[in-house]
This record gives sequence, C-alpha cells and structure tokens, in this order.
Amino acid sequence: MTNYELVSGLETHIELATKTKIFCSCSTEFGGEPNTHCCPVCIGLPGTLPKLNRRVVEYAILAGLATNCEISPVSKMDRKNYVYPDLPKAYQISQYDMPLCKNGWIELSNGRKIRITRIHIEEDAGKLVHQRGNTFVDYNRGGVPLIEIVSEPDIRSIDEAREYLEKLQTIMRFIGISDCRMQEGSMRCDVNISVRPAGSEALGTRTEIKNMNSFAHMTKAMDYELNRQIDLLESGEKIVQETRRYNEETECTEGMRGKEDANDYRYFREPDLVTIRVSAEEVAALKAELPELPGARMKRYTGELGLPEADAQQLARSRRIAEFFEAAADGVKNPKAAANCIIGQMFSRLSTEAEKEAFDVAITPEQLRELVMLLDAGKIRMNLVKSTLEKMLDTGKSAKEFISESDMAGLDEDALKAACEQAIAANPNAAADYLGGKEKALKAILGGVMKATRGRADAVKAEQLLIQLIKK
Amino acid sequence: MVTHEEILKIAKLAKLSVSADELVQLTKDMSEIIGFADTINAVSPENSDFDNINHLSNVFRDDVVAPSFDSGEILKNAPEQEDGYFLVKKRA
Repeated sequence: MTNYELVSGLETHIELATKTKIFCSCSTEFGGEPNTHCCPVCIGLPGTLPKLNRRVVEYAILAGLATNCEISPVSKMDRKNYVYPDLPKAYQISQYDMPLCKNGWIELSNGRKIRITRIHIEEDAGKLVHQRGNTFVDYNRGGVPLIEIVSEPDIRSIDEAREYLEKLQTIMRFIGISDCRMQEGSMRCDVNISVRPAGSEALGTRTEIKNMNSFAHMTKAMDYELNRQIDLLESGEKIVQETRRYNEETECTEGMRGKEDANDYRYFREPDLVTIRVSAEEVAALKAELPELPGARMKRYTGELGLPEADAQQLARSRRIAEFFEAAADGVKNPKAAANCIIGQMFSRLSTEAEKEAFDVAITPEQLRELVMLLDAGKIRMNLVKSTLEKMLDTGKSAKEFISESDMAGLDEDALKAACEQAIAANPNAAADYLGGKEKALKAILGGVMKATRGRADAVKAEQLLIQLIKK
Repeated sequence: MVTHEEILKIAKLAKLSVSADELVQLTKDMSEIIGFADTINAVSPENSDFDNINHLSNVFRDDVVAPSFDSGEILKNAPEQEDGYFLVKKRA
C-alpha cells in the first residue's frame, strides 16, 4: 500500500475584542436579547453608510505583526455577494485582492514554518436558529469585526494543524485582540485538506471542511477526511473538489456543495468606504505596543532561566500567567521553584482552562517572590513553602504571617540528632525493615523527622544521619 | 470572451431560465460589458489614482459604543417576526 501524506491549510476566523462593531457603534457584547445590538447600518437598511472602526485596523495590524506579516501600505474593502438570511445586505464587506496583512508565518515546535498567506478584515454574519421549517434570525453578531487568517497548504499532519491553531490562539490572546474562544464562536476555522503519495510534490484534489468549532472536532474531522480520501484513492476512485461539513453525531464529514455549485461571489470594491492607508510610522508605533510574544518568552524561560520546555509552555500560555511568573521570579536564585508553585498548587485551584489563563489568584507576584526568596536563602524548606503557599492563597496574606522566626531558624546538629533518634524509636519496625534491605522503609522514619521539626530539618542531612543511627 | 456555458452557469446561480435566443444575445451583451470592464481593470489599483473620486482615505470612527435601536424599531419592517427574531422560511 502506498504511504500517503496529508496536505492541509487553515482559514481561521477570529472575532476582534473591540467594543463596537466594524461599521457602526453598536456593542459587540456576546449574548443579549435578539436584535438588541442593532441599528440601521448593521441590519443593512437602504441609505445607510458604513464607517470603519479605527481599532479594527489597528488590531488586524497587530495580528499581522505578531505573525511576521508585511503590512500593506494601501488596502481597501470589497463586497462579497451572496444571498443568505444571515447577511441582511446580501453582501459581506470583506477584503479581496488587497488584504491588510500578507506573507507571514508561524513556527511550530518541530521547527517547520507554516506560512500565512494573508490576514484580512471583514464583518461577521448574523446568527440563524433553524426550527420547525423556519429560520429565526438574530443580527446581534452581524457586523462584529473579524480577521480571517489564511495559511498556505504547509500543514503535514493533524498534530501540526492542532499546534498551528493553538499557537494562533495563544498569540492572539497574548496581544489582547481576541479571547479566541472556540466554544463561543470567537475563533472558528475551515480546513482545506488533500492527500498525496508521500514524496510527491503535486497537490491532490482538495476538499474544504467548514466551521470547525473545537479542537476535538477539528482533529476528528481531519482524521475522518484523511482516511476517506485515502480509501477513495486506494479503490481507484476520484476525489471530488467540494465543501463538506462535519457531523458531530456520526463523526463523519458529508458533502455540502460541489465545485459546480460553488458560489460566484462577484467581488467588487466597496464604494461606500474609502482607501485604507497605513504609514510606516503607524506600523512602527503599533510594533512598539506589542508585548513580548509567547515563543520568545518560552525561549527565554528554557534558556536564561533553565526551565524545562513543558514548564515554559505552561507559563507562556497567557500573558497574565507569564507576567505573574516573571515578576515572581525576578532576581530569585531558583526560578524553577516559582514555576512549580504556579504550575502545581496555583493551577490546581483553577478548574477550567479559561480560569487558568485569566489567572485570578489571591496573592501578588511580589508575595510569591518573597516566599521563593526565603527558600533561596535556605531559611525554609520546600515542604514549608507548600503549606505556607496554601495558607497564602486562602487568605491573600504574605508568607511572613505564617512562618515564625523559629521556623526560619533551622535546626542545630543536636536538635536534628534528637529528632532522628525519636523518629527511629517511634518506628522500630521500619528501622528493622531498612536493615533487612527495604530501603523504602527509611522514608517513613524521615517523614516522622520532618513532622516533628515542622519541616525545618534538612531532608538530605536527616536521611544521612538516620542511616548512621540505624546502622549503629 | 464570454462562453455560452458561462452564461448558463451565471443564469443557474441567479436562478434564471434562459431561452436559446436569449442565450445568444446575452452572450454577446455580456462580452461587450466584460470588454468595457477590462478598460477599468487596466488601471492598476496600486497607483496613486486609485483613491475614490473624492481622494479620501482613512475615514475612521473611534471605538466608542453608542446606544443601539430598540429591537421593536429594528423589527418594524420585518414581514414576519417571533420572540424578537426575524422569521424567514428555511433555505437549503
């Protein structure tokens, strides 16, 4: 059997987090009673004129800069004509041949670059609810600003598609232009997919799967479609170029419309909107506004700070977490301890992914830094850090409130020896087991020492001393 | 040059029926219209005459919310409505 290679490109729609719609001053707030965030402009009444939201252009340029795009000095809006009830004007105002951003890329963890063809701005359509043979139309979402990010067909596996989309999501959240929530529809994507014999340069016939609204659906739909296309080729059949949808119940993709029925959108320049010109100075000013991006931060965390890749990835997943970590680890000897506190105890208190990313916690990064500094200075040990951090997170109070001078005093040799002797006396069976060759038995005795000293004992020293005492 | 097939495709997309006589005439008319459009297309959109007739660019709005219309007003011209929604027949 031939080995096949996946060839895929993504078209990703992202709702911009502006306060108002792209062409009118109606609110973009999610939800609300139907048709309450509407005005004559966004329901397409005759005689109304659109006026472009400056922030939409700025956000799209930020998206372009964060994905290594060139920013077009001159661009324009176009009409994309199609008739469907979600579009009250019977056309969508979009960008056709002069998008705001082009020729960018995103680098994956395997070092491959996925090229970005273009990023353009456009208006979202209304929401349709189909019921009892009727369609209920709500135009609250109509006119909400979107960017569409189109990649080249550079994606070669389902994992790469997933990583590309995750990277886009993280970057767009980092620069604060969208919350990119797939389940709420503020990020959705269409997947173009074809297969070819491995090693071949030619592109196969592609299909497009529309409107993926979760990572899970996207990977399942791609997996199904990949296998469907390979089966067709193996049985000598032709793949038909068409648009398909993913059926969540059957977990299959099914045909919607073929190439012959493809819409002819009859694009032409939007006559109601003037040319968009972006100067080099404006681009430079926006570039200066960009925060350090997750990729660069991860490199710094693994390089300068010596953190493991997995930790760096966790910390760079949102700007809030990254900034919290950096403030907490500022000038400490052991940044890994700060990372552990965040990824371990602090994350475990935040149940959803959204909560983790928002990282709304009771303490300040300075308070965490103070705790890590006590560890650095050898004044307290890791287990005391843990219990203290729990109390801090419960109360919002600082470490010093929970750690007494005696906790920080450490133990002198005599006190440690006394604690070890007591622990052995309290666990005679464990001591016997250890002598019998069960090395693990020592842990029970060590636990006794730590408990009796409330975590002040140096675990390594205590262990050595215990062995000496037991073997005597 | 526009072909009969292209006219039939456009007619299908526009849900129009076209007779054999009309097809000949439409193909001729459409070729002339496209020919005229080629004159416009010959002007590069990148050059400085690209701006619209008023030579305006960068007309923007600030991102400040203004009150929307009452949904009753918005739905006033709707042929049919229910529970605050526009109601239309389901389309394929």
